Amino acid sequence: MQPDDLSRALGPKLGDGLLSVEAFPGTAGRVRFRAERALDLFRAVRDDLHFGHLSMVGGIDWVDHREVFYVAWSDEARQYVFLSADVPATAPRIESASAVWPSANWHERETWEMVGITFENHPDLRHLLMPDGYVFNPLLRSFKLHEPEELEVKARHV
Amino acid sequence: MSEMWINMGPQHPMTHGLWNLRVKIDGEMILDVDPEMGYLHRGIEKISEDRHYNEVITLMDRCCYVAGFAWEHLYILSAEEALHLRPPERAEYLRVLCDEFQRIGSHLMWYAAFVQDLGLMSPFLYGMRDRDLVLDLFQSYTGARMTYEYMRVGGVRNDLPPGFSDQARKVLDWLDARFPEYDQLCLGSTIFRERCDNLGLLKASDCVAHGVTGPMLRSAGMKRDLRKDRPYAAYDRLDFEVAVADGADVTARYLVRMEEMRQSVRILRQVLDWLDHHPGPVLADRLPRWLGAPYAPIGNEGYLLKRNYPKGVGFSAVEEPHGEAQAYVVNDGGEHPYRVKFRSPVFANISAARQYLVGYHVADIPPIMGSVDVCVGEVDR
Repeated sequence: MQPDDLSRALGPKLGDGLLSVEAFPGTAGRVRFRAERALDLFRAVRDDLHFGHLSMVGGIDWVDHREVFYVAWSDEARQYVFLSADVPATAPRIESASAVWPSANWHERETWEMVGITFENHPDLRHLLMPDGYVFNPLLRSFKLHEPEELEVKARHV
Repeated sequence: MSEMWINMGPQHPMTHGLWNLRVKIDGEMILDVDPEMGYLHRGIEKISEDRHYNEVITLMDRCCYVAGFAWEHLYILSAEEALHLRPPERAEYLRVLCDEFQRIGSHLMWYAAFVQDLGLMSPFLYGMRDRDLVLDLFQSYTGARMTYEYMRVGGVRNDLPPGFSDQARKVLDWLDARFPEYDQLCLGSTIFRERCDNLGLLKASDCVAHGVTGPMLRSAGMKRDLRKDRPYAAYDRLDFEVAVADGADVTARYLVRMEEMRQSVRILRQVLDWLDHHPGPVLADRLPRWLGAPYAPIGNEGYLLKRNYPKGVGFSAVEEPHGEAQAYVVNDGGEHPYRVKFRSPVFANISAARQYLVGYHVADIPPIMGSVDVCVGEVDR
């Protein structure tokens, strides 16, 4: 399957919900879509294109916005497809994929706690790797592992 | 009877690592389960954003401590793609050599731990004994038995020492003769059969829906192996079969792993033949200076010059001993990866626990979870 095949199959279903389809190394292509139309896209990708196996969900913090990405596998095409949507950093939310692919459950829990993206209508959105009540999102760029200058100053005073 | 939740873990012989399986029981029946992960979370994805590309390899060994090579390979493939590099062919074969010996080592570790859960002590000793032979081989060319740091972005660190292939062939011959013994010890044992047959059933369609991959998926009759479906490194030039079984139960997972070890031996013989006849470089030349040194300095910021490297993204997937692992590396032109994301197969396999545990008895949990082959290091990262 090529990027053209993807846009031909998804274009009529999603209309302006489909932003672009581009080549992406090692996959059938990268589909960029509008976050509001997430569920329609997931259904089309699973039912029409037969990508029945969702492998991975993750998020990237681009500081001015955040990106949610999904990787799905098709047993017929023997290929992966890469899906991604941008969500605003001020209101990072998107519809959960777990109604379409049950395997999204844990991946979305992890993305929620690490990158701070809320998955709406998720069956069980709670902490997975971090302890309950943890308030930070460690994979945001604003979460610093250490401040080298600060450490240096402290070391000098010891 | 009244229902109640019990904790199996974080310290429990069944867990094989630090995690907690909360089980809702009514008498002996399992009504619901809720795995609790995170006890071993080290923030590997976050730390990677603060390291140079070659320094992340150190973390990969610790990602899965029984299959370090598979994770190194996974990361290296996507890092190379993100940085637009190609390794020499000999390095690709060396990586397959690492991967397949690692698969044998990992499956033997699984075998030893799994049968011990069932109360069979002798196979445990045999499994650990034979795994040590594989670790000795690793030590002879990487210097380490578990945390190798052998692969490099653009190739591998060093070539094999003289006499390695003779030694490796001896180990393969030894292992080949041991597999029938393992089968005899397990499949011939009434205890083993009664505790494993028709337990933990998970149909292929459920596996796909819940993201289950690896030996668990192949034990349900689905012939899916990334080494065949989406060949990486030198796998497209090697001759082997995908191990499948159709029981979808604990015994079927045992059969799949045993057959995979036999296939690994078959692959390794071909790889050793190829390596004997094709000397050559193991690290790509014309690497950027900061990647080119075989022993890249660690933490030496002054050595690394600010550069204008083309941006890129890398996505890779490998068939790890536990299943399908994926990595996504984003290179924004800086010295460190902008974002590294890993997909652990065991993470997905455990997330489906409700599907294969509910309805069985409490005493069935150790064999069923044993057959999943849990490695907490890669679940928590």
